[in-house]
Amino acid sequence: MKSPIHNAAAIAGIGQTAYTKKSGVSELALATEAVRKAIDDAGLKPSEVDGLVTYTMDSSDEVEVARAVGIGDMTFWSKVNYGGGAAVGLVAHAAMAVATGMAKNVVVYRALNGRSGQRMGQGVSGQIISSDLIHWSWYMPFGLLTPASWIALQAKLYMHKYGATVEHLAHVAITQRMHAQNNPNAAMRGKPMTMDDYMNARMICEPLRLFDCCQEDDGGCALLVTSAERAKDMKQKPAVIRGVTQASFEGQEQMTSFYRDDLAWLPEMELAGKIVYEQSGLGPKDIDAACLYDAFTPEVLMQLEAYGFCGRGEAKDFVTDKSLTLGGALPNNTHGGLLSEAYLHGVNNLAEGVRLIRGTSCNQPDGVEHVLVTSGVGVPTGAVIFGQA
Amino acid sequence: MNENEKKAFEAQLKSFIGRPIGPAMTGRDPVNEPMIRQWCDAMGETNPAHLDAAKAKGTVHGEIKAPPTMLQAWVMEGWAMHEGYDEPKNEQHRLHKFLADHGYTGVLGTNTEENYTRYLRLGEKVTAETVIAEISDEKATGRGIGYFITTRTKFWNEQGEELGSMSFRVLRYKPPAEAAAAAGGSQGKDAKGAAVAAKPTRIKPPMGQDNGWWWEKVAKENVLPIQRCADCGKLRHPPRPMCDACGSQKFDSIAASGRGKVHTFTVIHYPQFPGYDYPIVSIIVDLEEGERMASTLVECKPEAVQIGMPVELLIHQDEDGFKIPFFRPAKRG
Amino acid sequence: MTKTFKASELTVGQELPPLDLKTTATLVAGGAMASRDYTPVHHDRDAAVAQGLPDMFMNILTTQGLCSRYVTDWAGIDAIVTRVRTKLGGPNMPGDVLKLRGKVVARADRSVDVEVSGNNAWGNHVTATFTLTLPA
Repeated sequence: MKSPIHNAAAIAGIGQTAYTKKSGVSELALATEAVRKAIDDAGLKPSEVDGLVTYTMDSSDEVEVARAVGIGDMTFWSKVNYGGGAAVGLVAHAAMAVATGMAKNVVVYRALNGRSGQRMGQGVSGQIISSDLIHWSWYMPFGLLTPASWIALQAKLYMHKYGATVEHLAHVAITQRMHAQNNPNAAMRGKPMTMDDYMNARMICEPLRLFDCCQEDDGGCALLVTSAERAKDMKQKPAVIRGVTQASFEGQEQMTSFYRDDLAWLPEMELAGKIVYEQSGLGPKDIDAACLYDAFTPEVLMQLEAYGFCGRGEAKDFVTDKSLTLGGALPNNTHGGLLSEAYLHGVNNLAEGVRLIRGTSCNQPDGVEHVLVTSGVGVPTGAVIFGQA
Repeated sequence: MNENEKKAFEAQLKSFIGRPIGPAMTGRDPVNEPMIRQWCDAMGETNPAHLDAAKAKGTVHGEIKAPPTMLQAWVMEGWAMHEGYDEPKNEQHRLHKFLADHGYTGVLGTNTEENYTRYLRLGEKVTAETVIAEISDEKATGRGIGYFITTRTKFWNEQGEELGSMSFRVLRYKPPAEAAAAAGGSQGKDAKGAAVAAKPTRIKPPMGQDNGWWWEKVAKENVLPIQRCADCGKLRHPPRPMCDACGSQKFDSIAASGRGKVHTFTVIHYPQFPGYDYPIVSIIVDLEEGERMASTLVECKPEAVQIGMPVELLIHQDEDGFKIPFFRPAKRG
Repeated sequence: MTKTFKASELTVGQELPPLDLKTTATLVAGGAMASRDYTPVHHDRDAAVAQGLPDMFMNILTTQGLCSRYVTDWAGIDAIVTRVRTKLGGPNMPGDVLKLRGKVVARADRSVDVEVSGNNAWGNHVTATFTLTLPA
């Protein structure tokens, strides 16, 4: 049975700032610019927005954004936890709000000075938020301090178990770098990458080399979520939400779910896939393009399996130098993704999902009906399927 | 600084680019054996190419040559340097003072590159000229906001023959007050009351009610504890306040046998944090008791670690006395 | 010294034998004097403490001299250092053990690049890449 969320809400506007290494402005300034652009893109006035959703990690509170942008009365706001795992969750919360009438038009946003301000790759410290402290205490003293180190442990086992190699990881990185060459807003535009470039980059945490890891950037990105009905009368072609969910699986930890039977598998992603396919009545064969969360290249391989694009352990056979691009089996991260466009914590991947439905991607495949976008890997996560109105 | 002041400041800063720091400097003494010998003593250098004319003869060097990394030493100012530069004496000092006066008080050498055209012969007189080659735009760095300054130096001999070149990059930065306090870990005071940065150590586990007991047992009993439900006996790691099998909040612990197998691993190369020894061989261990834990593998070359390899417990103690359960490859038999 | 390697005898990834150097005040001060670097923080503990450091610290030329000796002791007498690129990290002070490790990172017909890392309890003190010309 299709879920009540099926086709209830749509993305009617997207907004983004320039993605840079040094914005020179506050995170709140980035947030307001992105939010305002998303509202303009939908053809609405700020006063017509009555809800806001962001990340618990975002430094710009909803009312600060609302006041700066000129959003008036609000009836709904929320924040979603777990870093990049929040991305799709923002859309899920907003979609629930508009589907139930809690709000009419909700903007979801994420803005960060991820390079010039607080950087993610610099490691967790004893000073982080206290509710997490005890969890991190099992890793910090051992030097497991960065997302790359946590993901590398899982990637190592995955590759060992199924015989995937660094060449398979390289295909993901190189394809997305190629996509970024057509994207005027991509940080890696003008920097194409060869297999030699990839192999010669420094080792970060084995098996992850530098270009297996996403960048650090400054920028903001926002989406306007409204009901599918109202979206029809707005300025842009809507991206209708066919299904959307958050997903945390038994034994879940934040980045360190090392205690489950099979570390070479992403059960929270499998769960998210099962739910959005059920909600939408669709399956992997119906997905024409994807934006699979790509903070690190092995995550893309493991998601291809979790979402059923290939069998368990078969991503290495699925991934070639052409399979993830236009004309391939699954054009993926056609904007360059977190690896080569910018690390906007996944909201920029959602924006690309919307562009793919609109037909306005910088690398637009033909005849896109359905796009799958996912949230962070290794954390409580989520997935959404966008479709045509 | 407002926007206009900042523009004026940057314009003045960039005007230093291309300036020689001062006239070319010629070293006081020609390349000579006593200084070479003193260098070799300090460096533990025993290469006959620098010390023994007879042995050097039969090598590519043919005669005694100065150690290559000594190049800059031949033109160093020496004794005069101890007085410091409260009053700038050359353009480089003026540039640094200009930045310091604008709050960029921190200074940190970041990179050098030396090219040696050839090794220096005894008797050669070395002259050097240094130019301020590059000043970056303002950058955000781990130390604070600042500017990278690159100087380039050319070296030649009395015949005008090129001997080599050097570039040297320093960061001049604004130390954030709070960062200064946090930088070297905890702060101590020396006899004269000056704040002294303590040697950095690994990040210690914050001790809460749900985990403190575990680390205390490691420290006091030299064991690897595994939490056990006091009611149903189920083991669990990492420790949590409730048994997910029976709901009991009562627990005790057992000491692990210390035997286990590597479930997966990574070798951490970068980024490197003070207080840790890199590369780190980081492992997830399957303990014999059935629980899993994250730890570090020591006494094992990074290329020797394998999934499935048997390991054994080792309670490691840091210089500051902190104890932490590590593993090493299991001894045979 | 041992016989000098030919480039063809070396492979990328090959490691140099490790060398752990105990740093003493004498080494720090002696290295500074030998390189004619009389900046007080390299020989005068009080001057270093006044700058907020726990002790005097090694100057760059001494660090490079030690790394150079480490590389050429391994490579042999006929090796010629033509270039050194260094990335500087934390300080090296009396009481620190400077752990020198090296490996071949690139190879051409008659030359190799050797990357040396020097770590101590503060973390990375230096990473230096030496380009050596070797006999044919």
